[in-house]
Amino acid sequence: MPLENPFQDPLRFERRMPECAIVIFGASGDLTKRKLIPALYRLAYDRRLAAGFAVIGVSRTPLGDDGFREKMREAVRDFSEDTKFDEDVWNAFARGLFYVAGDAGDPALFVRLAQKLAEIERERQTGGNVLFYLSLQPSQYAAAALGLGGAGMGKGNGWRRLVVEKPFGRDLASARELSEQIHQVFDESAVYRIDHYLGKETVQNILAMRFGNGIFEPLWNRRYVNHVQITAAESIGVEGRGAYYQEAGALADMIQNHLLQVMATIAMEPTASFRAASVRDERSKLLRSIRPMAPDEIRVNSVPGQYGPARVGGEDLPGFHEEPGVDAQSRTDTYAAATFFVENWRWAGVPFYMRTGKRLPKRVTEIAIQFNPAPLTLFHGGAEGAPNLLILRIQPEEGISLKFLSKRPGAGVELRPVSMDFNYGSSFGERSPSAYETLLLDAIVGDATLYTRQDMVEASWAVVEPIQNAWRETAFDFPNYAAGTWGPAASDQMLARRGHAWRTP
Amino acid sequence: MAATVSAGRILRELADLWVAAGQEQAGGGLGVLRACAMTLIVLAEETEDMEALGETIAALMPEYPARTILVRLGGTGAPALAERVYSQCWMPFGQRRQICCERIEITASEASLADLPSILPPLAAPDLPVLLWWRSARLLGTPGYRKLAAIADKAIVDSSGLEDEKVALPMLVEMAQGEAERAGHARPLLGDLSWTLLTRWREMLSGVFESRECQGRLPDISNVVVAFAGVRPPVFAWYMGAWVANALSDAGAHAYLTWQPRPDLTGRALHVELTGGDFRVSLERHDDRLSIEAGGLSHCTNLPQPTDYLLMREELGIVRRDPLFERTLATAARLAAASIT
Repeated sequence: MPLENPFQDPLRFERRMPECAIVIFGASGDLTKRKLIPALYRLAYDRRLAAGFAVIGVSRTPLGDDGFREKMREAVRDFSEDTKFDEDVWNAFARGLFYVAGDAGDPALFVRLAQKLAEIERERQTGGNVLFYLSLQPSQYAAAALGLGGAGMGKGNGWRRLVVEKPFGRDLASARELSEQIHQVFDESAVYRIDHYLGKETVQNILAMRFGNGIFEPLWNRRYVNHVQITAAESIGVEGRGAYYQEAGALADMIQNHLLQVMATIAMEPTASFRAASVRDERSKLLRSIRPMAPDEIRVNSVPGQYGPARVGGEDLPGFHEEPGVDAQSRTDTYAAATFFVENWRWAGVPFYMRTGKRLPKRVTEIAIQFNPAPLTLFHGGAEGAPNLLILRIQPEEGISLKFLSKRPGAGVELRPVSMDFNYGSSFGERSPSAYETLLLDAIVGDATLYTRQDMVEASWAVVEPIQNAWRETAFDFPNYAAGTWGPAASDQMLARRGHAWRTP
Repeated sequence: MAATVSAGRILRELADLWVAAGQEQAGGGLGVLRACAMTLIVLAEETEDMEALGETIAALMPEYPARTILVRLGGTGAPALAERVYSQCWMPFGQRRQICCERIEITASEASLADLPSILPPLAAPDLPVLLWWRSARLLGTPGYRKLAAIADKAIVDSSGLEDEKVALPMLVEMAQGEAERAGHARPLLGDLSWTLLTRWREMLSGVFESRECQGRLPDISNVVVAFAGVRPPVFAWYMGAWVANALSDAGAHAYLTWQPRPDLTGRALHVELTGGDFRVSLERHDDRLSIEAGGLSHCTNLPQPTDYLLMREELGIVRRDPLFERTLATAARLAAASIT
């Protein structure tokens, strides 16, 4: 049993990392430069790192420890948006950075890595705790995990954990196969599948709002909720990720992971406790309750899209086919919309509309819960049809708005919609930690609440795979929406069939 | 200055502020968003730098939007009171709508201090906690303080203005217990910025003992030195020593505790050293950074100079019992009473 630290003050101290080493595979990649190292530096700046801390970068680029430190110094300078670069803090942090060059497919790399880790464990007093972070091409995940196992690094003096970036497989079968390979070395409890959406403060705030208050939960069901709209819109195109993106598409890149996780957070049952296992059990249960679509349902309840060129704000925007690295014949969906139904007593019959796409008019992610209208029309006037909406904005202006009707002042009774807003940033002006700061810290302290479990991945694929297969077999007339618009007309028709319409966020 | 102020009039003036803001919205503007998470009563003496205090309060608002009641205490003559009401607004970066908080300013002569407990309660925002930030060291522990503290859920004081720790610490113990009884709480709700000052230091020292290896050396620690600037140990140096002593005692270690003046230290800086055998832990501040040496490893981190804003920012976030502070305060008072300084 671990000893207790008698100096702890949970009321006032911020959560801190225990002693550990972090091994980042893919250390020359963009994620390491833009997100991981800046997040770790921020934790160092905020006094959250233990003195016994080390990062070992692993990638094919030939580099020494000093070369890696120099590259990471530039990364922190360039990508730490809201953190001052402090020379002394950096120097202390950089003393814990190391590098091992090699290919994840080469067993010799893992022998060298094991030696380096043992050395660092002694010198930096990391307590034998190691977090392996796979920021690699997905095709290399299994090789890296098996390589770690082969060199005996799956177990050690302290805990061993593995963080895996999405995508978790290309479909249900490959997701299962990947898990089986990883499980040869790491137990499921040591596998942390990262979905950075779940690390966002506002997504976590959904749980706080739902289960920390008594007023919402009684309304949170089919009796009062008319339908739910989940929108994740991006105004940018594929931005140099054309080659990757055309292999994935909006459905696999966004809906299979981020948006279904958000939906699970919105629709899950209350948990018995806020422990990781309880929260993940409920998320998983919800995902398994989503009805997979039959082929005839797919035709009417899902819409793929691909953007075409357009002139927006005086700028000529290319269509997807004109983007660098994209095959001119690509059938990839840059837009995906779907209507899901949850088969449980709480949500039976309530449509959950989901849409995501690139080159839409603005960057916005939000969930809009539309409530049923009043049962009797007492007032007449233009605003009568305006629905009650609870809007949970995830980005860019995180917050919650409740829209309802109110009497316009003056003679007569005329209603007008008003909005009651809670703005996360203004009510809590404190800097929110980045999703990667939150998630890295969670993984290191062993809190898997915001990580995706294997059964959740499989449940998501079970929902998405039939749509993916049906889309592959259909010849769509792409492009079907112009850059800078809210997507294909078929998406509007999908809602119109049930008498609904997409909100304009 | 008049001898009375009317809570009803102040509340009407507050309401008028929001009507004006609403009219702006109706006129096509985006209007304002009203934010309030607590009532913050700030009692300051007229001799203070009011502009700096205003800036501190303004800086706290984005994180702790509050209805602020600033009581400016000045003049020793006849009872006199005056008030004004205004709003403090800001435009969060990247957003189009202003966020506003209410500010009430009451100027009171010292003779009117006794009237404040009847004036302030109706001005508090309903259903939200009331926090009292008592800035006057001179009037700390007086009946005026006690009556005002009784209407608050938490009183925040700063004992660094108290010079004699042998008087200050027992008074703080009494204030903590007394407030609990008066407010009908089961536990005291007292915050002392001298304790808040130590949080980041304590956090770093605690971080050292997150390591299993360092934890294993805890029973070896036999000496603790808390060095301070000046001649007498300030209250926060007593707190630091008491906190370390309690933690070591919990770990089964009994160390010899010393407070030492050190001429090269200035202001509220400390140097803390724990030693035993070949094991040494040391914490020292240089400008905005804190250096830590522990068992052969050295570490450096950012540690901004403690300002009223930073200290209050932490203290406003804790509106519940702080058992560790209560225990430390009691130990510090006991150690100070037993000392021969």
